[in-house]
Amino acid sequence: MGSRLEQKSNLVRKRIEGHTFEDEGGDEYEGSKFGGFTDYFRRKKIKLQNLDAQVRAQSSDKPQIFKGVVCHINGYTQPSLNDLHTLIVQHGGGFLQYLDGKTMCTHIIASNLTPKKREEFKRYRMVKPAWIVDSVNGGKLLPWDAYRVIDEGVGQKVLGFDNGQVVTQASRKTQGYREQTSTSWYTSQLKGREADTPATVKKLPSFTQPLTPEEEIDDDEYPVPEITSSIERALDQDDYGSQYLSPELPHQPCGVLDAATSLETPPKTSPPPVPSEDEAAAKGRATSPVEAAMPAVESAAAFRPREGSQEPDYSMAIVRNSEKLRDISPSKLADMTAEEHNALLLSDPRIRKSTVVHPDFLEQYYRESRLHHLSTWKADLKSQLQALAAEKSSSQKTKLKKLPGQRRYIMHVDFDSFFAAVSLKKYPQYVEKPAVVAHGGGSGSEIASANYPARDKGISNGMWMKRAQDLCPELKILPYDFPAYEEASRKFYDAIMAAGGIVQSVSIDEALVDISAICFAESGTDGVKRYEGAVHREQRKADMLAQAVRDEVLEKTGCAVSVGIGGNILLAKIALRRAKPAGQYQIKPEEVFDFIGQLEVEKLPGVAWSIGGKLEEIGVKLVKDIREMSKERLINTLGPKTGEKLWDYARGIDRVEVGEQVIRKSVSAEVNWGVRFENQEQVDEFMHGLCGELHKRLLKERVKGKQLTMKVMRRAANAPRDPPKHLGHGKCDTYNKSLQLGVATNDPAVITKEVIAVMKGFNISPGELRGIGVQMQKLEPLKAGGEGAELGSQKRLQFKRPTTPPVRNDTATVGRATEDSIQDDVTPEKQRIADINKPSVAIRPINVTTPTKRPLNMLGTQFVLPTQVDTSVLAELPADIRAKLAKHIKPNVGLPPVPAFKTSEQRHKLAPKDFPAIALPNQSQLDPSILEALPEDVRAEILGFYKSPGNRKRGEQALLPQSPRKVRTLPATKHPVKRKRGGGLFAGRARSNLHSVDNSTLTQSNFVARPLAPKHLQEDGGANTTDTEDAEIEELDPDFLAALPEDLRKEVLDQQRQARLQRTGGIDVSLHQRAKARKKKGTDEEGPLDRLLQLPPRPLKPSFTMRKLTELPDLRTAVKAWYQEFSDEGPYEEDIEALGKYLRDVVVEERDVAKAVVVVKWLVWVAEEGQEVEALGEHARATWDQGVAFVVEAVQSAVAKRGLGRVDLG
Amino acid sequence: MSTEATTLRVIIAAFTDFLTVAIHTILYERAIYPPTSFLSARKYNLSVRQNRHPKVCEWINDAVSAVETELLKGVVGRVAIVIYTKDNHPVERFMLDVSRFPTVALADLDTPLERTAANGDRLPILPRIDMEEQFRATLSRLASCSSTLKPLPEGCVFNIAVELKQDGQPPLNHPQPWMPVQSAKGDAVGGQLQKKAVPVRSIAAGELLLECWIEEADGAS
Repeated sequence: MGSRLEQKSNLVRKRIEGHTFEDEGGDEYEGSKFGGFTDYFRRKKIKLQNLDAQVRAQSSDKPQIFKGVVCHINGYTQPSLNDLHTLIVQHGGGFLQYLDGKTMCTHIIASNLTPKKREEFKRYRMVKPAWIVDSVNGGKLLPWDAYRVIDEGVGQKVLGFDNGQVVTQASRKTQGYREQTSTSWYTSQLKGREADTPATVKKLPSFTQPLTPEEEIDDDEYPVPEITSSIERALDQDDYGSQYLSPELPHQPCGVLDAATSLETPPKTSPPPVPSEDEAAAKGRATSPVEAAMPAVESAAAFRPREGSQEPDYSMAIVRNSEKLRDISPSKLADMTAEEHNALLLSDPRIRKSTVVHPDFLEQYYRESRLHHLSTWKADLKSQLQALAAEKSSSQKTKLKKLPGQRRYIMHVDFDSFFAAVSLKKYPQYVEKPAVVAHGGGSGSEIASANYPARDKGISNGMWMKRAQDLCPELKILPYDFPAYEEASRKFYDAIMAAGGIVQSVSIDEALVDISAICFAESGTDGVKRYEGAVHREQRKADMLAQAVRDEVLEKTGCAVSVGIGGNILLAKIALRRAKPAGQYQIKPEEVFDFIGQLEVEKLPGVAWSIGGKLEEIGVKLVKDIREMSKERLINTLGPKTGEKLWDYARGIDRVEVGEQVIRKSVSAEVNWGVRFENQEQVDEFMHGLCGELHKRLLKERVKGKQLTMKVMRRAANAPRDPPKHLGHGKCDTYNKSLQLGVATNDPAVITKEVIAVMKGFNISPGELRGIGVQMQKLEPLKAGGEGAELGSQKRLQFKRPTTPPVRNDTATVGRATEDSIQDDVTPEKQRIADINKPSVAIRPINVTTPTKRPLNMLGTQFVLPTQVDTSVLAELPADIRAKLAKHIKPNVGLPPVPAFKTSEQRHKLAPKDFPAIALPNQSQLDPSILEALPEDVRAEILGFYKSPGNRKRGEQALLPQSPRKVRTLPATKHPVKRKRGGGLFAGRARSNLHSVDNSTLTQSNFVARPLAPKHLQEDGGANTTDTEDAEIEELDPDFLAALPEDLRKEVLDQQRQARLQRTGGIDVSLHQRAKARKKKGTDEEGPLDRLLQLPPRPLKPSFTMRKLTELPDLRTAVKAWYQEFSDEGPYEEDIEALGKYLRDVVVEERDVAKAVVVVKWLVWVAEEGQEVEALGEHARATWDQGVAFVVEAVQSAVAKRGLGRVDLG
Repeated sequence: MSTEATTLRVIIAAFTDFLTVAIHTILYERAIYPPTSFLSARKYNLSVRQNRHPKVCEWINDAVSAVETELLKGVVGRVAIVIYTKDNHPVERFMLDVSRFPTVALADLDTPLERTAANGDRLPILPRIDMEEQFRATLSRLASCSSTLKPLPEGCVFNIAVELKQDGQPPLNHPQPWMPVQSAKGDAVGGQLQKKAVPVRSIAAGELLLECWIEEADGAS
């Protein structure tokens, strides 16, 4: 940079450095003169420097690294302008808020520049904000060169100085916004709080194990004993076996067989058995002193099938024993961040293996999750059975006509403790003893099913084993037996199908059957009429059927089922409760009310503690309490759907039909076990995998979704880092967020992108994450087109293929004049004819009867066409047909095709002239054909009402020659376009707009007629003249107004105006006047009862000149006029005196010093101004000066007389 | 509109409302209390400041109600908000001349007022909208008074004073909300100071006639 350019900035720098600030006594704190913008601005800048000086003085302890730097900041920066400013000033730099010239400062700070500025500032030191921040952090002024905003372009090499060597380097590519955000100060602040191990390489998610990761090789050195879970072992085998077979083997002590492992039976869903040598290896590892020391319960884990491996019961022992964690003192543990903690945890490769960080995690998770297995299996089974049931019952269903009020018989068939019962078949010795099905005896396993003896002990499904064993120490734990379950389920369904009726499978062990038809057949009724005997027969048949089903299932599967029978699904379900165990129960219609009423609300299907709690708050415990609630109350408490449902339920109403398919509403993938992350990259990667999984599921369901819901579980603030369940989620805060995708999708890339964005939005540090779920809602079926189905959501216009009746038909419509007047826009005739000459349906009038909408003139004919003929169609016709048509029509024109009463009715409407506005229908509703038929003068009168009264006043003749259709003179050619766009609705609106336009022009004239308020109005009422006035009159009916007598109308208008002003809080200038008017009215109405205190008449305001001026603007005008009049000869003494006296009076009597002062100031200004503009004679100037002085003195003395002290008179 | 039933009480209530707002505004503008202790509020459709300290508010409300009591008696000539320096020299007075309020007997406080113009028309007693507009104008003038006044020295305090009309009986009963002070007519309270007046605005809304100006002690005290 040349010295010339430095000069200015040096100057500025010196000035800034030399700037001191004592107090606000400097001249910059004085007020600016009128028009003194430059002065004002100069002072502003000084004041800004004052602030800086103060900041600088307060931060003398900071290193003055920016000495000699003067900065200006341009545009958005991170950190903000304010922060940067403070940083710069605190560290000894100068800061310029306003850049008067580019050379004023040494550096300009900006993150980004517009191309224009880029060009403009090309040769200046444009620096990124990071320069400031880094310099401050580094404690020294860094070379600005590294922080250039503008470089020389990609092609230009620049000289760089690197470690004492001059190097050439290609300039970096200009980075955009992304760079700014990633390197920005805020981001770095955030990052500082996050993991200090930022993984730079973004690993692509893959489900193939990459080449032996280092940590896992390290694992070889670890002592093996910690592994206590067979599942873990198995997992290890899987991975280790396939990856480093040979290196690992030699280290393993072979040959010691673990009996536990050998007992393992791989279930059908488990992965293929691992190679035997691995097994051996694993077994070898497993035998260890620690293992031996494990409690007996742990060794029982061996019975666990592979499915359980997803939630291994590795107790906390493994974590606690883990070398890494053991080494660290508890206090240190507490101090660690969540990420550090996770990193530590994950450094144990075995743990790492079973967390999300492991690349194969998701696959494994879904392959081996017991719950997942059960649910998918159930779903499969269900869909199979449903298909079967649907097939079987479809014929029956069509046979059975549903009649209103028909009785129904629904059976709900359910296994008693399905899993337990089936499993117990293999262990008949335990049947009478409490037994449960669970995946193992470990304290952390959950009970899937408990038999009735166990239930008597208080054990319930879903209970944790530990608690169950506390309750019942002799509890028998049975393993899962999935094949047996499947078989039992199949037999169960076979039996139900055999019974007939409409079957709906609820789950593998539960089904709903509609047996109404069978019962009716038995009793020989239609199910509607009530014969005592018939109903009884039906009920008996239902019971018999239920018994048959129970017997058959018991016979086939050896397990007991219970059956509930009721008039609908709800009742059947409730009856089932009573039926259990191993029984059946039928709720008879007459006992429904009492039966349900006695239940607790939470016994109703679909009501659990959540809704139950809400209900309890409003005082509902039993179902019968609900009946006392109003439906509104319920809906208010529980929401519209649940509320209404419960209201129905309480009365035994359930409208759901058996066999109705419940449509799948959402597809989701969720993982909340083993979720432990070290850094954000892992999170992103995992999300990628999860979205892939979701994608797979969506594909499987053949749907795609429009709404994406993300669920994130975050460790609750008070929860321990390691939850009781190993790698479980523990106590969590759950966050949900939904977003609309707009277009339905199942594209994993899109989903991933959105999900990651949402995740960022949650701003949860990776270490705190405990569970992530993605759910797709608002599903749409996938189109058959497969991948090409993306267009599915794009709606296509359907063009109707017109049919082809003859043209004549069109004329036939002429006859149907009135009844057809509201025609749809898609009358076939029009389409048809349009189609003859034109391929498109472009010309299709929306509402033919609307006179304003009909482009009659496009014909260019003078024929008066009947309204029903579509003119656009006519226009399209060849000339000869048109002529024929016209002939056809003509006779019709003569006779009015209108019912007589209608005409008279309309006339009647017109008759009372005093209130036309009330009875007048919308103009569009007038039938033009009726109008046509009316005598000329009557028609004119009718139309006159639709026209403005103003127009009417101006002259009726404007209307007379006009046919109603000619009212509008828009060019006809434009119509098709307009009409095509707007539907019928819009057409109507457009019309009304047209009208309002008419009206407003009309009201204009009305407004003019209104007398203007006297002089106040000009002074500040000017703004609210025409347009507001229009709007206001718009509210009133113009016709109505017009009909009023002049004075009444004025009053009405005033009143409305006042109301409006009050609303807007504005000043009403004509307030006094109106108040007077209202007062007048008031006196008429008010009774003489009110005692009024009559105030003595007020002394007159002092006024100026003969015209009795009192208001300031008038005074100003008068003074100015006076001065201009006498500017060259000087004022007369008496005038001066008069003014002086007046002003004195103003001060003393009117007591408005402010007014007097303003007048004097005005006079002074006028005089000065005048003297500047024109050279006055010496005499004139002197007298004026004298005069002004006199007036000033008069005011001063008057003020002093009131004891106010001197006034500043400018 | 409530013009029909305007009593003196209504007029005075309107005035005291305004007085309260004005006091808060002055306190803020003259920085008697730290600016951070003020809330932004809306009155007369104007953004005004209100001190949020409960004690300050209470004091002001008490003072204003004491003023109201006197006003109802019809003995008040002027209401002054006086600002004193640390050592009790008055530096500024914000004057409100209320001497032209209508005077009525105590029994007629709640009697509707009426005024008839020369031609027999009734005049509005208290045109609300007009009044609010004028209050608004006055307040906005007050809010910008700092620009014309000299900065106050540190540690100023304020007080509220009423100047009685010539024939007004001072309120000397018990409890005594007012400290009687002998007026030093012609000079500022308590000193031989030259003073400068800065007119603020007059309000003439029906019967609510009010003038507002600021007196500033001239020269150093």
